[in-house]
Amino acid sequence: MNAYTVKSFQALVKREYWEHRGAMFITPMAMAAFFAGIMILGALTGDGLTVNEHKFSFLDHLPEAVEKFEGIDQEERSKGVQIGLYAPMVLFGFVMLIISLFYTLGSLYDERKDRSILFWKSLPISDTTTIASKFISVCILIPALYFVVIAAFQLFLLLFTTVGAWFGGSSGVTIWASSNLFGVLFNCLMSLIVASLWLAPIWAWLMFASSWAKKVAFLWGTLPIFLISIAEGWIFHSSNFIEMVGIRIASGFAILNSNMNNLLGGDMFDVPVWNWYQTFGNMEFWMGLFVSAVFLAGAIYTRRHRDES
Amino acid sequence: MTNLIEARGLSKSYGSYQALKSVDFSVARGKIVGLVGPNGAGKTTILKAILGLTSYEGELKVLGLEPDRQRHEIMQKVSFIADVAVLPRWLKVENALEFVTEVHPNFNLERAKYFLSKTNIPMKAKVKELSKGMVAQLHLALVMSIEAELLVLDEPTLGLDILFRKEFYNQLLTEFFDEGRSILVTTHQIEEIENLLTDLLFIRDGKIILDASMEEIADKYIEVMVSKENAEKAEALNPVMQRDVFGRKVYLFEGVSREELELLGELHSPSVADLFVAKMKEGK
Repeated sequence: MNAYTVKSFQALVKREYWEHRGAMFITPMAMAAFFAGIMILGALTGDGLTVNEHKFSFLDHLPEAVEKFEGIDQEERSKGVQIGLYAPMVLFGFVMLIISLFYTLGSLYDERKDRSILFWKSLPISDTTTIASKFISVCILIPALYFVVIAAFQLFLLLFTTVGAWFGGSSGVTIWASSNLFGVLFNCLMSLIVASLWLAPIWAWLMFASSWAKKVAFLWGTLPIFLISIAEGWIFHSSNFIEMVGIRIASGFAILNSNMNNLLGGDMFDVPVWNWYQTFGNMEFWMGLFVSAVFLAGAIYTRRHRDES
Repeated sequence: MTNLIEARGLSKSYGSYQALKSVDFSVARGKIVGLVGPNGAGKTTILKAILGLTSYEGELKVLGLEPDRQRHEIMQKVSFIADVAVLPRWLKVENALEFVTEVHPNFNLERAKYFLSKTNIPMKAKVKELSKGMVAQLHLALVMSIEAELLVLDEPTLGLDILFRKEFYNQLLTEFFDEGRSILVTTHQIEEIENLLTDLLFIRDGKIILDASMEEIADKYIEVMVSKENAEKAEALNPVMQRDVFGRKVYLFEGVSREELELLGELHSPSVADLFVAKMKEGK
């Protein structure tokens, strides 16, 4: 790998960001802004709400709530705050995986559809570098961008509750002290990346499908999975393949939310749950990366030798 | 190395259809070569083979390298415009410059900025916001700023109006072309570039049927405007083509001496378009 390959690679990853800024960054930002807006609006107008003819005031209840919160055992309190901070991961992580799905499906198909591949191929960039940049985009870049938004939203949550604490007559320091903020942030970043790496064989498969799909990349990506399952059902009267795919995907979600799951007592999922660092010790994780490499090699070969007309 | 492209026995089949039938040709440094042929004759296949975009049989060397195995190296010294509208629609002009600067070792950013400053293209605009002519200008500015030895153009001005087309080739000639470089171009608007070309390649049904410099063509092919009374004499010399112009006949001769033809009437060099029509009809 010479210096130009490294520079090209960086330029290619940036290129992916330029093309997909909407899905990679604007979408989660808009979600975060939406939820933050609703919470602020709720706080501003929620006071003086009338429920069943009882006038209900948050302001009146805040001192009580703050007192209760600060009275809880320290360990339980920290748990509660951390669960609150991890909670947005459920939704943001889900959206990230959906967006990664569509990103990989279009990754090598869209450029052929709009014929811009003829422009990309007029530049001295190897197919290997191009496909590596797209794979890294889905496994690292997208998780990193979602992390930035999630982190910003978590800070907002802390600030929001701190202001609430002020109205309840407390400084709010206990919230921050109980938050384990840096630990939570680090766990979030790693969970997002490791979950995406865990799902790498799925991304690589979809990229491969995307490289040879003539039309409707979505069908080329999903139909073979169902056809194999149906064939397996006919021939062996079993359903191992589709179960394997299903468990893989479910485990991806489990890794994503393992932090919250463990704090909640560990029964959020029906599949075994590993923390991000436990995932590295799992053979299936490394096998997945190996399978990804095979699919990526297929995608590189297809992009290199496909006859564009 | 004087030949930038060398093809020996270049062949390509799509299933049972033979798109190229053992073609030989070369493109020397400092030439502007027009590759001309009807649709489906194999022009695009030749260009794709040169650019490493398709597999082929036979021997093909571009800058001394093999396109099907050394594409990456070749593309540092070769640039191409394959079609008018292949710039990605979502790309911003300024990002296009940034990107090519970072991935291309032979790209000159200052030159590209200079070319763009002469147009009305806003740096912040996305390609989809530009007119078709502007997209072509942008693509040309990018390509002309690459210190390439070989430039391949496949219908680069298709769908552009005449002003853009003239300007396109004009710029290419004044700002890009020199003795160290070669341009290989295919186009249907051959009459617009015939004064530019140094060499001509005609292709029909996957075979090269004419491979000559413009001087050789001027020597070999002569058009004579003949009055009615000399028509029989002219036809005795086996013209390759004839047409009627204002009651007089125009005959196109191949390999007949000037002295002999001067006796029949006024001599002209045939236009490439007329020569093309004559060659395409030959033997059919």
